[in-house]
Amino acid sequence: MGLTEILTMSHELALIAALIILLISEIFSDEKSKYKFIPLAFALILGAGVVGLIFGKTGIIFGGMYQNDALRMAMKLILDLATLIVFLQSTEWIKHPHNKNRVLEFYLLVFATLIGMNFMISSGDFLMFYLGLELATIPIAALAAFDRLKNNSAEAGIKLILSSALSTGLLLYGLSMIYGTTGSIYFSEIKELITLNSLSMLGMIFFITGMAFKISLAPFHFWTADVYQGSPIAVTSYLSVVSKGAAIFIFTFVLYNVFGATSAIWTQILVMLSVITMTIGNLFALRQQNLKRFLAYSSIAQAGFIMLGILGQSAIGMGSVIYFLLIYIFSNLGAFGVVAIISAQTGKETIADYRGLYATNPKLSLALMLALFSLAGIPPVAGFFGKLFLFNAAASQGYYWLLFVAVVNATISLYYYLLPVKAMFIEKTDSPIATFKAKPYMALSVAICMVGLVVTGFASVIFEYLVSVSSGL
Amino acid sequence: MQSELLVLFFVLGLILSGGAIVFSYFIMPHSFNATKVEAYECGIPSKNNSWSQFNVGYYLFALIYLVFDVEIVFIFPWGEVLKEVGKPALVEILIFFFVLALGLAYAWKKKALKWE
Amino acid sequence: MLYTISIKYFLILSTLMFFSGVAGFIIRKNLITILMSVELMLNAVNINFLVFNRYLYPDQLQGHFFSLFIVAIAAAEASVAIALIINIYRRFNTIMVNKVDEMKY
Repeated sequence: MGLTEILTMSHELALIAALIILLISEIFSDEKSKYKFIPLAFALILGAGVVGLIFGKTGIIFGGMYQNDALRMAMKLILDLATLIVFLQSTEWIKHPHNKNRVLEFYLLVFATLIGMNFMISSGDFLMFYLGLELATIPIAALAAFDRLKNNSAEAGIKLILSSALSTGLLLYGLSMIYGTTGSIYFSEIKELITLNSLSMLGMIFFITGMAFKISLAPFHFWTADVYQGSPIAVTSYLSVVSKGAAIFIFTFVLYNVFGATSAIWTQILVMLSVITMTIGNLFALRQQNLKRFLAYSSIAQAGFIMLGILGQSAIGMGSVIYFLLIYIFSNLGAFGVVAIISAQTGKETIADYRGLYATNPKLSLALMLALFSLAGIPPVAGFFGKLFLFNAAASQGYYWLLFVAVVNATISLYYYLLPVKAMFIEKTDSPIATFKAKPYMALSVAICMVGLVVTGFASVIFEYLVSVSSGL
Repeated sequence: MQSELLVLFFVLGLILSGGAIVFSYFIMPHSFNATKVEAYECGIPSKNNSWSQFNVGYYLFALIYLVFDVEIVFIFPWGEVLKEVGKPALVEILIFFFVLALGLAYAWKKKALKWE
Repeated sequence: MLYTISIKYFLILSTLMFFSGVAGFIIRKNLITILMSVELMLNAVNINFLVFNRYLYPDQLQGHFFSLFIVAIAAAEASVAIALIINIYRRFNTIMVNKVDEMKY
């Protein structure tokens, strides 16, 4: 293996280098000077993205364990961008005196998970997939428990690690059965060898169950709301956007490319999961008062809609899923950004606290409104096009009654997405949140999300590019 | 496809996991007294709760030991193929040790190795 | 010698182990015991991988290596989980799951 081959994974190498740089600066810096490394972390994530963009090339190395192509490179860049936004949003929280001894640990752990996700996305066999998945999961549990002095945060951490351990167990049990039937752990070989027999079907069902835990599809979603509410906001947005996006990507890829021959079975499972997930996510989101919990259930419902795109089963399906993920990243991070700004300023997190916000903080209200409209899929905003392409993908395979359920659910979701909007614009209160100016980093993150929403919504070239690179799979 | 086997497996799984719950509910004695919650049910009466405070240093040492100990699992296979692979294997294990050493340095910096 | 034991006994053992782990995960109240249940599940998976490799595909090593990596990752997972359990004990003064439930919907 030559040096040029190793450069195929230049994106991962750049991230690893960034991690080592941060770790060394943590070891050789004194207690007082931690804050000056925050811009360094921003620069490193940007640099890793640029290195991946310039030096990244397609190829298969390590005997098929690692593969890279245009679609994967696009996905990695999307994840980098989302992580940068999360970093920007976390500045206020990380500067809190409670966190003064572990500023760099936050960035270290996030970089570690990002490396895991990149390897997971690029995996060409189940061993690399498993290693990436675990590297992406275990540090997040530590991140969820980052607010060590809060009971909720400790609870979120333990719930996340135990439920992810259970899901990993289920997933591995499925993988062991697939290994038993096909005698291989390589995606390309399993694709050729897999047949419809009871052992391999059972393995596939266990695999889908494990992944359903990770992307919190109902009925495997019980951990989600508690973890999202208890974790610090930066971690919640990271968890609900970046790690979910990576898991959905590889889930789609494995279903298409490894279990392609058995699609008759997994489409039925996905149809059921999709219906249950959309309905349960919506019904529970209706009654939430805490905005973090609210966004948690809404993200469960969104995962149900994404299943529709996966059912599209072709380049269109893959393209629409990635496109929706891109829009979902901008809209969800935009919403979380506003919640983070207000929470950092006032400590308030419930919908009732947002009454009359438009009168005092019009810019924040407009940003939150735009993000929520996009999540709901109201026409002029990007989220509408995302949902439209997902529905289109499902329709191309003839799932009309499923489409009907999805449209009904999307209509229900309109109601609860409008609740915070109504609170901000219409309802009056005697003591609204006072006018304040958001910190520059956090305002920048929300601005990036808003620009992203507009650009992804109106530039159809992005969707066409994603479909065109998906067709090579 | 032998779908009946599939059904059978699921039923068996349900019976095994559900049966364990139901069965243990029936055979477990429903009495409760102070002796039962003691650390040793027989022998010398225990003095206080077994959840007494230990020095947290024990846990730290155990955790660090655990992580470094398990790495040997990768070093044995490496030793097996060292002669065949040659130089690249040496470079790879050096990278591996470098990362481990960074972890140790971090633990040192955080005063996890200090006994207080 | 080894082949005198049929493969199906190994698979029965691993299935029993796996579902004991699942049952333990659900019914146990102590966080440490729940963690032990998870380890039981992972070890059942290890047995599966090793047995499939040894009996069905004896000329390759993929299953062996997969189980080696599972062992190492399980250790990492356990160490993070134990650290979080210590954290829970400091916050709640208990490690019983039914006491650790501040968030409800």
